Amino acid sequence: MKKKSGKIVSLLLTAVMVLTLGAGCGGQGGGSEDAKEIKMGTILPLSGSQAPLGKIGQQARDMAIEEINAAGGIESMGGAKIKMVYADSKGDPATGVSEAERLITQEEVALITGCYQSGVAMPSTEVAERYQIPYFVDVPSEDQITERGFKYIFRLAEKTSWRNRAQTEFITSMAQKYNTPVKTVGLIYENTAWGQGAVRAWEKYLPEAGLEIVMKEPYPANSSDLTPVVLKAKKLNPDIIMMVSYVSDAALLTKTFAEHQVKPLAFIGTSGGFADPTYYDLAGDASENFFDISTWEPDVNRPNSQEINKRFQEKYGYAMNAEAVKAYAGMYVIKDALEKAGSTEPDKLREAFVATDLQSGPAQMYASQTKFDETGQMINAPLVICQYQKVNGKMERVTVWPEKEARVGSQIVWPYPGAGN
Amino acid sequence: MIEKNNKKTIILWAGLAVILLLIPMFVTKPYFLHVIIMCLLWAYLATSWNIIGGFAGQLSLGHGIYTAVGAYVTVMLFNTLGLSPWLGMFIAGAVAVLISLVIGFPTFGLRGAYYALATVAISEGVIVLINSIGDVGKFHVGGAEGLILKTVGNSWAAFQFSSKVPYYYIILILLVLGIIAAKKIKDSRLGYYLVALREDEDAAAAIGINVRNNKLIAGAISAFMTALGGVFYAMLIRYLEPNAVAGAVSMSTQMVFMTIVGGAGTVFGPVIGGILLSLVSEFIRFYLGGQLMGLHLFVYGLIVLIIIIKQPSGIIALFDKLKERLSREQH
Repeated sequence: MKKKSGKIVSLLLTAVMVLTLGAGCGGQGGGSEDAKEIKMGTILPLSGSQAPLGKIGQQARDMAIEEINAAGGIESMGGAKIKMVYADSKGDPATGVSEAERLITQEEVALITGCYQSGVAMPSTEVAERYQIPYFVDVPSEDQITERGFKYIFRLAEKTSWRNRAQTEFITSMAQKYNTPVKTVGLIYENTAWGQGAVRAWEKYLPEAGLEIVMKEPYPANSSDLTPVVLKAKKLNPDIIMMVSYVSDAALLTKTFAEHQVKPLAFIGTSGGFADPTYYDLAGDASENFFDISTWEPDVNRPNSQEINKRFQEKYGYAMNAEAVKAYAGMYVIKDALEKAGSTEPDKLREAFVATDLQSGPAQMYASQTKFDETGQMINAPLVICQYQKVNGKMERVTVWPEKEARVGSQIVWPYPGAGN
Repeated sequence: MIEKNNKKTIILWAGLAVILLLIPMFVTKPYFLHVIIMCLLWAYLATSWNIIGGFAGQLSLGHGIYTAVGAYVTVMLFNTLGLSPWLGMFIAGAVAVLISLVIGFPTFGLRGAYYALATVAISEGVIVLINSIGDVGKFHVGGAEGLILKTVGNSWAAFQFSSKVPYYYIILILLVLGIIAAKKIKDSRLGYYLVALREDEDAAAAIGINVRNNKLIAGAISAFMTALGGVFYAMLIRYLEPNAVAGAVSMSTQMVFMTIVGGAGTVFGPVIGGILLSLVSEFIRFYLGGQLMGLHLFVYGLIVLIIIIKQPSGIIALFDKLKERLSREQH
């Protein structure tokens, strides 16, 4: 009897699966075309380890779309409303390809945005290029994405290497301003795509600025002990220590540096873990005076920035991050292109992106000017340096550089005074 | 009676062949064809894994190494030397065989969980290696940043097509060859040796079967076939990310799941498992993907779990029972 019931269950399961498939195939045929609706697709990691980051990207888009639609949609297209179809990449390149195929050929979207990870952006943009559908890359920063001669790919994010270029500029300008000669740099990075990319860029820009790399120390991500790395840094004693880490390693490094009283002129992080809200919780006061680079900070001195972040916080209960800002600003760049194109035809839309020169509106919270070069790369990298500082007894990320975007009344602490000073 | 049955079988197979050949004419939407291509690829990979994992019962949890070898070697040879993937794939297959022998010598002495653990350790090691190596001589490997296939447009010689149809026929042929190979092995002396050593290694050795050599041969065939699957993956996706091509979650364990769900140690079990599970995964993502976070993966896991618990001999066993019942009713 028991055996029989097992058989029935398995048969039922098979039946359910087959039925799901049937329904899946059948359900696609219909789908009425509303002329007053512009369908777009977004690929994000909505499951897997990066899912929380995908979710905030989705929320940022949703907020921008709600605003755009509420304000009358796309005027040049008779007030057409934007409709976004979200697809889950699971953070996996092959799934990203499959979803790009689906969005383009099944959902028939006019444009794709996404997709958080560079690893997913690389192959999925290739699909869009093949179908000649514009792909708006808002967050992925891998240099090569816009270096493959593609015509339908437009990227709002800065290239990874530009961050390292800006860090180098920051070091040189600080060295001059505070008259503290900088000669040597130590690099500590996790051994991932991100870390390896950063090192390649540092190896280009740092020597150009006359700085010598005296230490290059990769470590496996999510290490449980980084003391050997820290001791090596203490021994080699570079003037500047630069790091690429996700949050647990970033906090561990910070605490271990404090423990061993390592005292270079400055510690500089490369976003990621150093920008994570839990970084300070984990590292505590040891994070004081550490520098970090990013494209946006809640206190950054840019038009609209504070108001939009406040709205986001009221709507979703937490503040935006740099990636959410790119996703949000990106929707307004897309809106601007749609207005100019007056059509969802891929080539008209593409031309509109090529001609984009946006210098007003909510996108200002990201960059004062949005414009793409002939490779589809956004020409401006709105990068800022911030420093962990105690403001009224509370640790905050204070935007300190460049001066015109710095928090009003902020002061840079340079050189690093040592932990606990 | 036998003749009549034979005739019936032939008609059945011919019908299936016609349907498979005509699929691209009816499935004109590239997305659906892409889904079918992925199904066949997974069916092929599961079939390849089944040679060592099913027939010989050696639970390899590191077959991602071989897909990675196939994919990387072929793409590196093409990108750097311009060697056609059609030739590169055999070099890649040979490298995979070599690696399977190097891994096999020390590990095939291990049994049960120890062999499985060894394959996990080795594959994790390989993933770290691929993630760390930027270049080998003039060959670009790409490290953790991944390796892009140089695209040259529509070209048979370069194994690159703008339409999905050629990919469909290529993977279909590969799968058919894989099934024929599996069938031949199962019915051969090697196949019986493998079953014998799977069921009882000591008994097999006692009757004079060279256990290690037969495992090595099965492992090498499996590695070669898996590597060709990796080549196809590389040509289809055109971008290799170490964790996606070699990783446990996305590659190695998938082959194991699909084979076990379909029916390990049978010829058609892995095919059914591969097709079914990739369809299920695709369509639950289709329906549940944009909604509750991770729900579709949860549902996928649940389905795999229930099948393994309720039907441990695989879905193929249901078909066998059905066939048995039908023939009983006929008589």
